[in-house]
Amino acid sequence: MIRRHAWLWGAAALVYAFLYIPLAIVVIYSFNDSRLNAEWVGFTLHWYRVLFSDAEMLAAAGNSLIIALSASLGATVLGTMAGLAIHRYRLRVLPALVFAPVAMPEILLGVSLLLFFLQVLNLTLGMLSVIIAHTTFCIGFVAIIIRARLQGMDESLFEAARDLGASRWQTFRFVTLPLIMPAVAAGALMSFTLSIDDFVITFFTKGIGEPILPIQIYTMIKVAVTPEVNAVSTLLMLLTLAMIIVAARLESHAASREAARR
Amino acid sequence: MSPRLLPALPSLALLAWLALAAAGCARPDAEAAAAGGRVLHLFNWNNYIAPQTVERFEASCGCRLAQDYYADNEEMLAKLAAGAAGYDLIVPTGNAMDTLIRQGALQPLDKTLLPHLANIDPAYLDTPFDPGNRYSVPYAYTVTLLGYNREKMRELGLPTDTWALIFEPRHLERIKGRVTVLDSQRELLAAALKYLGYSANDADAAHWREAAELIVRAKPYWAAFNSASYIKELAVGNLWVAHGYSNDMFQAALDARRTGRGFAIDYSIPREGAVLALDSMVLPRSGGQTGLAHRFIDFMLEGENAAELTNLIGSGNPNVEAKRHIRPEIASNEAIFPDAGARAGLETLRDFDRSQRRLLSRMWTEVKLR
Amino acid sequence: MTRDTPRSTRAARLLTGGPPLLFLLVFFVIPSLIMVLTSFRFPGEFGGLAPVTAPADQAAGEYGFTTEAYAFFFSDTLYARVFLKSFGVALATTLACLLMAYPLALLIARSEKRFRNLMVLLVILPFASNFLIRVYAWAIILGPQSALSRVANTLLALLGMEPATLLFSPFAVLVGMVYVHLPFMILPLYTNLEKHDPALLDAAQDLGARGWQRFWRVTWPLSLPGVFSGSALVFIPVLGMFAVPDILGGTRDILIGNLIKDQFLGTRDWPFGSVLSIMLTLAVLSVASLTAWFARAAGRTP
Repeated sequence: MIRRHAWLWGAAALVYAFLYIPLAIVVIYSFNDSRLNAEWVGFTLHWYRVLFSDAEMLAAAGNSLIIALSASLGATVLGTMAGLAIHRYRLRVLPALVFAPVAMPEILLGVSLLLFFLQVLNLTLGMLSVIIAHTTFCIGFVAIIIRARLQGMDESLFEAARDLGASRWQTFRFVTLPLIMPAVAAGALMSFTLSIDDFVITFFTKGIGEPILPIQIYTMIKVAVTPEVNAVSTLLMLLTLAMIIVAARLESHAASREAARR
Repeated sequence: MSPRLLPALPSLALLAWLALAAAGCARPDAEAAAAGGRVLHLFNWNNYIAPQTVERFEASCGCRLAQDYYADNEEMLAKLAAGAAGYDLIVPTGNAMDTLIRQGALQPLDKTLLPHLANIDPAYLDTPFDPGNRYSVPYAYTVTLLGYNREKMRELGLPTDTWALIFEPRHLERIKGRVTVLDSQRELLAAALKYLGYSANDADAAHWREAAELIVRAKPYWAAFNSASYIKELAVGNLWVAHGYSNDMFQAALDARRTGRGFAIDYSIPREGAVLALDSMVLPRSGGQTGLAHRFIDFMLEGENAAELTNLIGSGNPNVEAKRHIRPEIASNEAIFPDAGARAGLETLRDFDRSQRRLLSRMWTEVKLR
Repeated sequence: MTRDTPRSTRAARLLTGGPPLLFLLVFFVIPSLIMVLTSFRFPGEFGGLAPVTAPADQAAGEYGFTTEAYAFFFSDTLYARVFLKSFGVALATTLACLLMAYPLALLIARSEKRFRNLMVLLVILPFASNFLIRVYAWAIILGPQSALSRVANTLLALLGMEPATLLFSPFAVLVGMVYVHLPFMILPLYTNLEKHDPALLDAAQDLGARGWQRFWRVTWPLSLPGVFSGSALVFIPVLGMFAVPDILGGTRDILIGNLIKDQFLGTRDWPFGSVLSIMLTLAVLSVASLTAWFARAAGRTP
């Protein structure tokens, strides 16, 4: 088993290194005693102190989290439904609609949604408009993953459940959902990271007076990004890690309780 | 990561989250609203007002200053063009302001509320964009110029007071791959036109072609079109010459000095002339807090307050009274406060019309693809 | 399945497909229609759009509907060349992502179940940091003073070649693109590979298939849906990306994403920006239907 996977482990280690070397730089420089992200000068917590006294940046991080959580929740539910529907039924319109936002350049989606919100809906821009915009472009990502999971899956499982008298809902809840759960989780994670990072669509759909993280960071480029941004990035990663671990624990807890009940 | 370490991580991260949330919850907007205070919404560049200035203004008016940021005039214009409303004050650059004025998007100012307007150097008033300053009050300016590594330039014996440095292959071949120019159609075209002896606003197709040829000839020697990271790359020594904004060069010079590099970053206005970008405070029609906005403008016209921005980011300052409060090494910097001779060579950019913009964009695409 | 009346099937179909359809009709189709209309208008003098009806105060001036933006697009091969170049970059990025993602996804799928979530999490985690910060980190790694550049240039010197600059080059753009999009390849691949029945591989082994054969004959064909959806999730977003070429690119790295962004911002030519986007969407859809066709064709072969 181990020997068979030796080359796999090697390749995977390289890929993980590729993923983590830039990240290490981000984290390390958040403790660096220099305004420039250029070389190691000395250890300091200065940038974290700056961050924690920067009410605007913190509010921005909070707002971004709320947006990312809401948008990824919405996109995961809608995207999962879309993925299931596309796989199960011969639909013509939905697939095109689901995948088109993925294909649309962000700036176009941003401007068109802005025009739509202001001139058609007459909506006051705010958190809600950003959440809707993010949900729109995340749905496709979720649906694509769900569909990839469903494709080639053994249909006889679902048929067997139905033959045994399970209702459609029961089949979904106890057969389909557990089977596609890894894809659902992957889609949710993907939506979360897409949303928390998006500058273009966020810029166009955000309201006034609400700082949002990517905007704060992107507009700092004019004056060169300081390690404060590294610090907020580091904390965001820790936070994401925590949320995922808590979710995983809750899930395994629920699973073991369910197993005990049976 | 060992599995045993995992249980500790959630609690650690949760702590961080709680701290963030607690700090984030103290939403200033909500606080101000609870206190019955007013909020002034300013749409501005990031880091374009000193924090202590904000504090003093808030204390003096008993209100809160809420800022939204843009990274580009064009982003701001696009957002406003689509109908975004609610900003009380904007700080656009000259040509963007020109657009806003001609669109009829601005409110005329009430000068009786601006007693400190007299502090502005008349040379920066009465611009072609806004004759008689009906709509705008100058805030700060930048010059698009050349920043360079002083020691390297001395060592190589290259001239630093001319656009030839970034356009002439005979100079460029000694600094190949160590030069960046701005990733901006208008700015780069303006530099090329100026070097060729034309106006930065020249729209003659033949002159554009000449400029394009100049750019294409120099391009192989440039490392990149870059508007984002040249400050840092200059300061750490990866770049030797950059075409960029005076504010940014001020920052690069400061960074190089603070980190004790073995070299200094200097910057100067090329003798052929350059672009001056004058940022002004204006009131969009859709803004509500007109009284408060005037109060802010007048506050920023006081010498001490105006000077703080220059001391922070090295911006050019049109305020005569501010001079006394500006640190002497900045006040004496001729790239930030050019003498009358150099000032004569500076031009502000005017908007091209829509068909010219379309043609320029095509030319730019062609140049980049070559 | 005898109990399924056509009516209950319709109801189930409506319940699953209806909500996403409705959401996208409102928040995607209508805004897109606005943009399609935009492509037939004149750009406004100051950006935005020229009015549809004649302005009362102006005798002259362009207004109403036109196809001039389309004519401008087709008047020159320039834009086709930008498209071609962008598709090349997108293809290279997709292939590089596939090459890197496959072994990792396979390893995760074949690891013990309790480690899988952790390993997936480790893939996603870097992406909770800020996008720009990650790209700037690459600017540091590829910069001329970095260890990587020094090693590369020492090697080049040993081979008697001129030193190369990594930053501000097509190579840097590719690295940045791959880095930013890699999880979009890993996740669908993993979710696909994870459902493969190990018994299939055992059966193949029992039938005398060697490791490599087992992969080509069993794993690879079964994973094609994952490969295709991962490729779509990488290929398409790369086409719209402008921040990576802006930060890491050199003097020739202009992609369709930069061009479109520029029409909405710098040039303030919304109609032409819409035309470019419509062309891009059409190009992407044709590539997607080609891929789908290939996928079906590949699915039919045993």
